[in-house]
Amino acid sequence: MHRALASAAIAALLGITTVACGSGDENTPTENKQVTIRFDWWGNADRAEITEKAIDLFEQKNPNIKVETSFAEFNAYFQKLATQIAGGGAPDVLQMDYRYVREYADRNVLAQLDNGPAKLDTSGVTQQLLSGGSVNGKLYGIPPTQNTQVFSYDFKQWEQSQAVPPKDGWTWNDLKASAQKVSDSTQGKVKGLGDFGGIEDWFEVWLRQQGKNLYNEGKIAYTAADVAKWWEMTDAMRRSGAVTPAEMTTKMDGSDANNPVTQKLASGGFGYDSGFTAKSWEIAGREFKLSPFPSDTGKLGQYAKPAMMFSISQRSEKKPEAAKLINFLINDAEAGKILGMSRGLPANAKVRDTVGAALTGPPLVAFQYEQTVGPKLEPAPPPPPKGAGTAKASFQRIYDDVIFQRSSIQQAAEKFMADAQKAITS
Amino acid sequence: MKERPGWAYLFLSPWVLGVLLLTLGPMAASLYLSFTDYDLFSTPNWIGLGNYRDLFTDDERFFTSVWVTVKYVLISTPLKLAAALAVAVLLNRASKAQGFYRSAFYAPSLLGASVAVALAWRVIFDKWAVNPDTSILVLVALAVWQFGAPMVIFLAGLQQVPKELYDASSVDGAGPWRTFRSVTLPMLSPVIFFNLVLETIHAFQAFTGAFVISGGRGGPVDSTLFYTLYLYQKGFTEFRMGYASAMAWVLVLVVALITALLFGTSRRWVFYAGEER
Repeated sequence: MHRALASAAIAALLGITTVACGSGDENTPTENKQVTIRFDWWGNADRAEITEKAIDLFEQKNPNIKVETSFAEFNAYFQKLATQIAGGGAPDVLQMDYRYVREYADRNVLAQLDNGPAKLDTSGVTQQLLSGGSVNGKLYGIPPTQNTQVFSYDFKQWEQSQAVPPKDGWTWNDLKASAQKVSDSTQGKVKGLGDFGGIEDWFEVWLRQQGKNLYNEGKIAYTAADVAKWWEMTDAMRRSGAVTPAEMTTKMDGSDANNPVTQKLASGGFGYDSGFTAKSWEIAGREFKLSPFPSDTGKLGQYAKPAMMFSISQRSEKKPEAAKLINFLINDAEAGKILGMSRGLPANAKVRDTVGAALTGPPLVAFQYEQTVGPKLEPAPPPPPKGAGTAKASFQRIYDDVIFQRSSIQQAAEKFMADAQKAITS
Repeated sequence: MKERPGWAYLFLSPWVLGVLLLTLGPMAASLYLSFTDYDLFSTPNWIGLGNYRDLFTDDERFFTSVWVTVKYVLISTPLKLAAALAVAVLLNRASKAQGFYRSAFYAPSLLGASVAVALAWRVIFDKWAVNPDTSILVLVALAVWQFGAPMVIFLAGLQQVPKELYDASSVDGAGPWRTFRSVTLPMLSPVIFFNLVLETIHAFQAFTGAFVISGGRGGPVDSTLFYTLYLYQKGFTEFRMGYASAMAWVLVLVVALITALLFGTSRRWVFYAGEER
């Protein structure tokens, strides 16, 4: 009797666990059933407010679908995402980055979006942008928006400091001279620029200006000498005080709180034009003007980049509903009006026109910038290989060696190359 | 009385299931994964000792993380224990406010492991946290500040010291320092040993503070790259979970070895009452 009782007890406990783990897994459209989907993205509070408004409208139009959302800044977002995916708890709809899409698609984590239960309406998006979300001919991420690299600066500060503003054909030396002017005229209280040497994205533009690329057919396409030359340029700016000191630079993590420009410790810097939302001036406490990158070769090097992508988790049990949400966010004119430029220039041409007509403030400035720089942009290179995210992180980490003067620039560049090679090949 | 093992199993089952499902199971899984190229998402492939070989022959940052962690353990553990003992001695007198002070000094231990406190710490010690020469000290300070748990254990130990020993030493004319050295410390040595082992193991596993204060990067210049933080980076940002599992097992072995060493030395300095010397 006792043995039976013991077995029963264990069986009961195991039973509870099993029931708790089990769940319905039909992947069929659930027309009338109440469905909750999860949507995670990266961004700031400003973008969150706008996104929530668009989602409210979606929920109104689809009363059987409830959308739960959560957001974080870029690095934290991806750390959390990896953990969730590994644990089998990935969000249904997720925001994906161009740099990671191959990594995740190759690992069979993302659902195919041009076929199957997660099929999307891609008719409004140009082929050029769609190819940025395609891996081996299949679509795994759809870009809701495009963006491009931009230089932004506090033009009032520059006027006060008598720094020469960017103009057509300006060079990296012009940039340095103007930045130096700002630092000098404020006795270093406001630096000309946030130190941008550790950010692989801006290094890429500089490389492309010389006809090179980050990757070519899945392999690193630059050398330690390129990296050293880039870091020598930015290191000289740090030594002369034109850019932020090491202690400030090392904190830069993509958040407003640690961004020297937002904190009024620097008067300008590089970024993506999708970063300008209605409250950008308010957050930074002043207005900015936008300009294309400087260049020494006459080649601009910037490209039309999928600002981000929406993807659907391969393991989602609610793919049709997830697809519905993405279709709405990308193709619906009303949603477009609400979202505006909060994620960059809408990829859907029709939505883009309606959005453009209604813009004011920073998004309008970004929109106008896209209009002027658009014709000069090159198409985006194919999504970078697996390990590119690790290489990007190494670039910033090892740049700390340079700014804290822990090793020579040459040594740091070689150390980075070794790390990056290992990341890409392993 | 009649034995009723059935009921025993019933009452034991929550604990047994917890150990099997939440501790031993995952440990066995991670031991297996440490011999594979598991990348979080795909099916793992067996690669034998490959991860362990790479760790020791092809990973400079692994040694950096070991050095950072050893530094942290060696500085923070003695300081924390000293602080805990000092405060425990001060609090070990009868006074009305004693209860209040004990709670007040214990409070940081309840809060200390939390993200919120680490965030506050980052703001307060910003100037030091961004300097590669001092950033580790910020984390040491955070650890030392959480001396509450060993302090409570010391307090309990202090109250076990027989009163007549103190009476005897005062009759012999010993001053407070002499009494502390010749009575309190030897009588307390089992408790000191217990706390030392526990806090050393804790220090090797420190993670939250370093993660939050360095924004998950272990910077500047890898100066706060704790072993566990590097393990986390390998597993969750580089997707090398097999490699991270190998790191976890190296840590388990090292901590086991150090604990064994501590036990080895204990025979020379730990005194148990009633023991013959």
